[in-house]
Amino acid sequence: MHKNRGTRIPPKSIRYSLYSLLAVLVSMIFLFPIYWAFSTSLRNPIETFTVSGLGIPFIHFVPTLDNWIDQLYTGEARRAIGNSTLIAVSASLLALFLGTPAAYALARFRFKTIKNKDLTIWFLSQRVLPPVATIVPFYLVMQTLGLLDTHLALILINATFVLPFVVVIVRQTFMDLPIELEEAALMDGASYFGAFLKVALPLAAPAIVATGLIMFAFTWNEFLFAVTISSKDVITIPIHMAGAVDTRGVQFWFMAVRAMIAIAPPVIIALLAQKYIVRGLTLGAVKG
Amino acid sequence: MAEVNLKNIRKSFDGNEVIHGVSLDIEDREFVVFVGPSGCGKSTLLRMIAGLEDITAGEIFIGDRCVNDLHPADRGAAMVFQSYALYPHMNVFDNIGFGLKLNKVNKVEIRRKVLDVAKILRIEELLNRRPAQLSGGQRQRVAIGRTIVREPSVFLFDEPLSNLDAALRVQMRMELEKLHERLQTTMIYVTHDQVEAMTMANRIFILNDGVIEQIGSPLEVYRNPANLFVAGFIGSPRMNLISSSILGVQEKQLTIQLPGGKVLPLKRNTEDLGEGERLTLGIRPEHLKENKEGDEFFEGTVDVVEHLGNETYLHITDADKNLITMIADGDSNTQKGETVQMGFHHKNCHIFNATGEVIN
Repeated sequence: MHKNRGTRIPPKSIRYSLYSLLAVLVSMIFLFPIYWAFSTSLRNPIETFTVSGLGIPFIHFVPTLDNWIDQLYTGEARRAIGNSTLIAVSASLLALFLGTPAAYALARFRFKTIKNKDLTIWFLSQRVLPPVATIVPFYLVMQTLGLLDTHLALILINATFVLPFVVVIVRQTFMDLPIELEEAALMDGASYFGAFLKVALPLAAPAIVATGLIMFAFTWNEFLFAVTISSKDVITIPIHMAGAVDTRGVQFWFMAVRAMIAIAPPVIIALLAQKYIVRGLTLGAVKG
Repeated sequence: MAEVNLKNIRKSFDGNEVIHGVSLDIEDREFVVFVGPSGCGKSTLLRMIAGLEDITAGEIFIGDRCVNDLHPADRGAAMVFQSYALYPHMNVFDNIGFGLKLNKVNKVEIRRKVLDVAKILRIEELLNRRPAQLSGGQRQRVAIGRTIVREPSVFLFDEPLSNLDAALRVQMRMELEKLHERLQTTMIYVTHDQVEAMTMANRIFILNDGVIEQIGSPLEVYRNPANLFVAGFIGSPRMNLISSSILGVQEKQLTIQLPGGKVLPLKRNTEDLGEGERLTLGIRPEHLKENKEGDEFFEGTVDVVEHLGNETYLHITDADKNLITMIADGDSNTQKGETVQMGFHHKNCHIFNATGEVIN
């Protein structure tokens, strides 16, 4: 034993190094497209395909902010950011506002005519249908209501599509909360709605916020309905990105900038709201 | 303060009846304990009184009001849950004052009442802490504080001590008894722990399979169990139950067979009994004595000896292969494998008929 001291690397360290290496490699695979888009966004159009190596700014080419300035100062890009933000935030909030009470009802009350399990599956089944199958009905509905090419149309459609996720995810969160907490609130004088509002909701808040963020990302990335329901006045970021293709072909330098703009909000929000995603608020509520 | 009356209460889950027509009367300021094995329906009964569970049939009165259709908060009852159920996002002060806040009591009054309760329960220094920062015993105190502050007419406890360690449980038990003395309020306590039931209750309600098997003071149910279930459930170690049969029936005298063939004459009401009928003889372990001491004795071989210091448990197999437990003195020298002659007095024998009912 003594002889080997200092000469052998403990197996744990080798394992740790291998895992770390693997983690770095996997991260690189995921991060490389983002890096490449960032690098492309800083190049002159002429350098898009001519830069050597890994396209590192200042080493392989002289970076320029021309593409960024061009894109950020055109009304189109700013309108797209505004539209996407308004639609994604509103649709997520609407889905949370409608979905959270539904999720609570499914988690806590027993429905008699249609069983809770069937109701949950019904909610989920809304997402089994391929969205493309609903384009024509949605188009006709929006046309009838005079909502084509409006924010409201996209808010309503996106909220409809993320609502089942909200219901299913948040339902599970409520089911994981100890029911005694709400019963204690009832005994303390709260109404059923009061127990939901003052006890269940604050405890489920981290999960609800996390769900909202995921729904925001879904809505932010939505392309199909945005391109069919609104094609002129309410252009969203994904449509704006796709618009970098014109008669001259794909304008990779603009598309790269638009891609970076599209990525930024969900990533920043996720980083800022990280603590809400971490659960554990119920710690100490029950025996332990 | 209020009495609680249950009239023919039934409860079904998905058509499966779990409470089969329970009727009981709890007097004002009484401390009663619902005790029974897991799944006997004691917690369901308590939750129905609280209003947390619907009643399938029957009526519940708290005071002179039928509370069947009243919201839990309007019944004048407060409940301590097994899991404490403290609100994790509120500190101790807010946990205790939550009910008052909901009832729109003014802030000054809430503060006064919460501080009063904190003083009674000796948790003044914990008021700013969150439940996660408290020990099990402290959480239990807060949970009790939350009920006291509402000044309910009935306290409901659902196995409140089962998550505490043994030493703390004894301490909390005494504190609850003192609290009852101090508050002089009706208390209904659910437990599966017969020691809690025996030590705290004015009256014990023994439940099994959704029916009440016996109601009585702790010593009453211990000394005079109404049936085989109660005889086996109350008492630790449990009562020795020996299968036997009737050898002879005379007026007010019964002759039964003891293990090993001996005959035991007992003075009992012999109505409806006949020769050859099966019955069960029950003798508590502490009523068996070594060395034939008593009116009668039977023999057995010692399998296991457990020295507890103040007493010794002898686990014995008798001639008919019944497993018998005997409590001997702490300094008993009886060894494993020895034959012991277990003496007992006639007055300590319990006889149960074939359906398990006691024969007096």
